[in-house]
Amino acid sequence: MGLVESGKLPKPLTSLLNTSRKYSLWIFQWGLACCAIEMGAALGAPRYDVMRLGVIPLPASPRQADLVCISGTVTDKMVPAIRRLYDQMPDPKYVISMGSCANCGGPYWDSYSVTKGIDQVIPVDVYVPGCPPRPEALLEGIVLLQERIGKEDMAARWKGDPIVVS
Amino acid sequence: MTALTERQQLAYANAQAADGRVNLEFETDEGMTLNMGPQHPATHGTLRIVLKLDGEQVISCEPIMGYMHRGYEKLVEVRTYPQVTTLVNRIDWLGSFANEVPFILAAEKLMDIEAPPRAQWIRTILFELSRISNISLFVGDMALHIGAISAAFYAFRDREYVLNQIEAATGGRFHPNFDRIGGLKDDLPKGWIADTKATMNKIRDFCDEMETLVEGNEIFQTRTRGIGVIPADVALAYGMSGANLRASGVDWDLRRDEPVGLAWNECDWNVITHPDGDSFARFWVRLQEIRESTRIVDQLLDGLPAGPIMAKVPRIIKVPEGEAWVATENPLGEMGYYVVSKGGLGPFRVKIRTASFNNIAVIPWVTRGVYVPDVVTILASLYFILGDIDR
Amino acid sequence: MEETPEAPAVDEARQAIIDKLTTELGDAVVGSHIQPGHDVWVRVTREAWRTAGLVARDQLGYRYFEYLSAIDWLPSPFGLSENSPTDALPEASTEIVTGHGGGDTRFQVIARVHSLSQKMGIHLKVDLPDDDLSITSWLPVFAGVNWHEREVHEMFGITFAGHPYLRNLYLPGEFEGHPLRKDFPLLARLVKPWPGIVDVEPMPASGDDAEAEAAEATETEEAAG
Repeated sequence: MGLVESGKLPKPLTSLLNTSRKYSLWIFQWGLACCAIEMGAALGAPRYDVMRLGVIPLPASPRQADLVCISGTVTDKMVPAIRRLYDQMPDPKYVISMGSCANCGGPYWDSYSVTKGIDQVIPVDVYVPGCPPRPEALLEGIVLLQERIGKEDMAARWKGDPIVVS
Repeated sequence: MTALTERQQLAYANAQAADGRVNLEFETDEGMTLNMGPQHPATHGTLRIVLKLDGEQVISCEPIMGYMHRGYEKLVEVRTYPQVTTLVNRIDWLGSFANEVPFILAAEKLMDIEAPPRAQWIRTILFELSRISNISLFVGDMALHIGAISAAFYAFRDREYVLNQIEAATGGRFHPNFDRIGGLKDDLPKGWIADTKATMNKIRDFCDEMETLVEGNEIFQTRTRGIGVIPADVALAYGMSGANLRASGVDWDLRRDEPVGLAWNECDWNVITHPDGDSFARFWVRLQEIRESTRIVDQLLDGLPAGPIMAKVPRIIKVPEGEAWVATENPLGEMGYYVVSKGGLGPFRVKIRTASFNNIAVIPWVTRGVYVPDVVTILASLYFILGDIDR
Repeated sequence: MEETPEAPAVDEARQAIIDKLTTELGDAVVGSHIQPGHDVWVRVTREAWRTAGLVARDQLGYRYFEYLSAIDWLPSPFGLSENSPTDALPEASTEIVTGHGGGDTRFQVIARVHSLSQKMGIHLKVDLPDDDLSITSWLPVFAGVNWHEREVHEMFGITFAGHPYLRNLYLPGEFEGHPLRKDFPLLARLVKPWPGIVDVEPMPASGDDAEAEAAEATETEEAAG
């Protein structure tokens, strides 16, 4: 290989790789609060059925995951654990921040123990607003992310900083 | 693995080494320490449990919480009364409507107003619907923790029907925020009553299905019968409530014994108890409670009185000075609000007594000496929600 | 103090609770309040706190533990903080007015015990002097009090003598301050105006001046009409 990192991959090959990547997203669920139930409904319930979008829910470990969905209130006590599991995920990795709490603190914007926005800690690709967002909203977020993956220049993603686990 | 660059290989090795260090930390003098959580499916959120093990048996168990502490009691002090219901919706996020009711009732008690009968009945109906949506998830979830995944799909499927009804009436699938001081935001939509009755039939079918699929399963029975027995006196001393208390044989239900103005006394239903106090009893009691809830909803829909849904309240709500305690039987157990008012726009101090906080205080007691796999079934059967513990 | 005038009915069952506690504890019962048909508050001295719990549990049969918490009666120096952060804070009074059952100090510990057979509960209150925020633990009385006392210790800084493990329950170890004290500021509110002040943001097209003019015009119209 080496072509991917060098950025000299021919365009058709890039789009082929991107297509295969975007329809085999392993989503690591990070159920934190209320949103986790709506995420459970989106990922596990028969009505919404996320697998038809080519998303495979609930891998056993963050090391097998491409995508993490931070769903719910992030507290200052929780942040180190989130950072650590994020660091354990292999590149290229994507983050969906689900719900107002993970986006910006939400109804707890003035709380003394809530982190106002998970983007202070890890980079976020898609924000899904709502308190909690409906499962359909999460699915739309996933579709938007897939669109973005489809257009991605793979070299840029793969040249990212290495994973460092402290 | 030639696809990995040198840097990625290094990162992989780093990650492996980090995990090795963590495992080393867990080894202590006596036996072994096993860390469960804060991200473990059996913890319904983010509870962390540190188990000290001797072989397969638990010597001691220390729950560590606070991963979901959002500071409700402080935030409530800087919000006005109508704003508080938005916030307390999210305490027990599966039974959102039930969280609003005791707070609104406490405020109404202080203001000395009473919601009209129709509002009280609709409140009761929505209360029971949120109980059904809450506990049906528990039924699927408990089976999931024992290893049966299909029950979880059925639970999610049938729960959607109830959520549809809640959404049709309140506009919110999850956090309705429908209660107002003195009544409700809106009346029921057209055709809602017939739809809800049909939904209740579906839920009763769901109960039958779960009884054969989960409760009658031999593996389920072996994993839960005689496991995690909590005697009645221990349950009382720890302040356990709800189905956990009734599964220990205590015949106590605030809906029947200390009615707070809602319409439970107007219909015919039973308080379900079980003498065993084990994990199976807790599951069984909850499953039967869904059935009783559907009966309550059916009867209330039949006898729904006509009339206004809002009492006369001032436009700007100021609650007179005083203290009030109102507790209701929420899906998870007794939830009470101790509201202290100083006559302002917002409460002076609110103590939120949540069911799960007291219910899981018993975990160190009940897990002593059990085997590791049983810890999961005990946690699942105690049924707590992290927002309800940490607040 | 005994009862409200519009509810002349004397609640005998709840009065009996107060009488029983008074006979058992003597002078230690320093205040009481009955809401007929609803609730009863009994305030005891700090020394009699554990005894009061034991009496309620063993002699009155109140074996069900509901909760234990505390109240900081200092009026909040920050108010509802609904104003802009640049405005001066509302004038804070330091006068301490306590609630049912009376009280003399800023901090009060409050607990509720319940009897399933009598279908009643008691609120027990106790005053804590400011210079010594400590009290005997109820751990030998009700097992469930363990986490409640840890919570109160963390949130109010009240020490429970005899509690073996008063560690932080919720907040990370390095957190400073006791959040539920009234003088603990919510910093986010102090640096940023409450977003709810502005109900509707002005449309991008209409400037502030145009709006102010329109408002003035309607005012004059109303005044004329």
